Formats: sequence, C-alpha cells, structure tokens
Amino acid sequence: MRIDKCYFCSKSVYPGHGTAFVRNDAKVFRFCTSKCHKNFKMKRNPRKVRWTKAFRKAAGKEMTIDSTIDFEKRRNVPVRYDRELIQTTVKAMRRIAEVKKKREHAFWKNRMVASREKLRTHRKKTADAKYVKLLQPISATAGESVKEKIKVSSKSRSALVTGEGRSMGMDID
Amino acid sequence: MGRLRRSRVHKAQRDVHRAMRTRARTKDLDQIQLIDLDPKNRAKLEAQPLDYEKPGLAQHYCVECAKYFETDFALQSHWKTKVHKRRCRALKEPAYTIEESERAAGLGRENKRPSLPTPSTDAAGDIAMQ
Repeated sequence: MRIDKCYFCSKSVYPGHGTAFVRNDAKVFRFCTSKCHKNFKMKRNPRKVRWTKAFRKAAGKEMTIDSTIDFEKRRNVPVRYDRELIQTTVKAMRRIAEVKKKREHAFWKNRMVASREKLRTHRKKTADAKYVKLLQPISATAGESVKEKIKVSSKSRSALVTGEGRSMGMDID
Repeated sequence: MGRLRRSRVHKAQRDVHRAMRTRARTKDLDQIQLIDLDPKNRAKLEAQPLDYEKPGLAQHYCVECAKYFETDFALQSHWKTKVHKRRCRALKEPAYTIEESERAAGLGRENKRPSLPTPSTDAAGDIAMQ
C-alpha cells in the first residue's frame, strides 16, 4: 500500500481517494480533490497558487531544510518484517513528529518577528487611508456673513428684446 | 440583454470547459522544457515530414508554444507576438514536475539501496515509513 501525494497541493492521497490522470507519456498525476484536478486542467502553476504546499515552500513560508523532513521517503526496496524494527519505528515516528512540530513552531515564530514590522507599517498605512479628519463647521467659526448689495449698471442689460413675452428672459444675471 | 447575455449567464465558462477537455489537451510546460527544447529533439520537431493531418502539413512548428502554423509568414509573425514571448519567459524558469510536488510534501526519494538493516540504538536511525 502506498500513500501518494497530490500533484497540485502535495496533500496525501490515500488508496481509494482522489483521481489520477495519466498523461500520454505515462506520467501519473494524482489529485486529492476535484479542486486540485480542475486547477491542473487549467494549467495553473502550483508554485504560483498561494494555498499549495509548493508555493509555501518556494516562498519561504515553511521549513525546507531540516533533518526531520528527511525521514519520509519513497523506498522501493521492501523491508522484511521484523517486530522489533516496527516497534522502534513507531516509537521514533512519534518522537520525530514531536520534534518536527516544535521546530516548525520555532520557524514560524522567527518568520513572524520579521513580518511583524512589515504588518505594522501596513496597518498604519491602511489606517491613515481610512482616517477622516473632522473639522469644525465653517458657520461656527466664520459666523453669519452679511449680504452686500452690488450695483449693476444698466448697460449690462441685453440689447435684445424679449419676443412678445413668449421666449425666456435675456437679462444677464 | 442582447450582447451581455454571453458574459453574464454562465455561458462564458463554455470555452473554458471545452479547453479543459482531455482531447483538447496541449503539451505541458515540463514536457516542452525537458524534452522538446533539447537541441536534438528541437531539430527533429522543426523538420517534420509532410503530415496531411496537421496544419500547414506540419512544416511550420513553434517548439516553445507547441503549435503548428499554416505558413512560414504566420510562424515568423507569431515569434513577434506577446503570446510567444510570454511563453518563452515561462520556459526560462524550471518547470513544475511531479518530483517537485513530492519534495514540497516532504517526501524524499532514496536512490541507493540501503545498507544492511541493523536495529540501531538511535531512534531515528532507520525508519520505514513508506
């Protein structure tokens, strides 16, 4: 029994799950879900799709070089059953998972330290953009403005004569 | 709605779905990059024998885009297009392969045969996971 990895998102594909596509050069592409299969059919590059493992590894968001990762391997040589060996293996698997979890957390923390500053500046920027500065209303500061009479000379009147009261006025306002 | 019907009534997906059919499948980037772009294969692809099934009798082929053209002029003008240049740029970076998907999942590959399996004291010494 073999647990394959999804071509697109690198998740484990257990026997009886997912779909496989065999290309005409006999390469087998396995997919965990129809979502991954569809994305493959759209010819998307998993390295550029943010939710895939390939992206996260390529963008430095996850550990890539670590001794805990090196244990899981595709081994094409069968191992003769040995009770002792299986026992130690299972024991070691638990321990390695523990160590891996701890290291991943440390890696994440280290990453966050660097990104925190970035996040802070980003937040400040967005907050500034949203911030509306309230001013006092103009009427409260300036007070009531006094209306002034403006003299308009009679010459500014139009020379045109209104057409028997039917057309609109031609007075210049 | 007239014209807008095409883009607003889910029919816009029609061509997307048709392009996704297995029978309409074009060559993948890793196939082109790792096999076709090899100078030997490239020369073979550019000088194909007459094929009445292919466009332009398979005489004008763009290796990068894996596409046949009707005339030499069409091929020459294709090389100047944005589509072709974009494809060339995409081929410059290493293509994504099944091996990379496995590496991203943390699944290594053991090339050499392991030495005699000895139950060592180091717990992480020999583990047969897969």
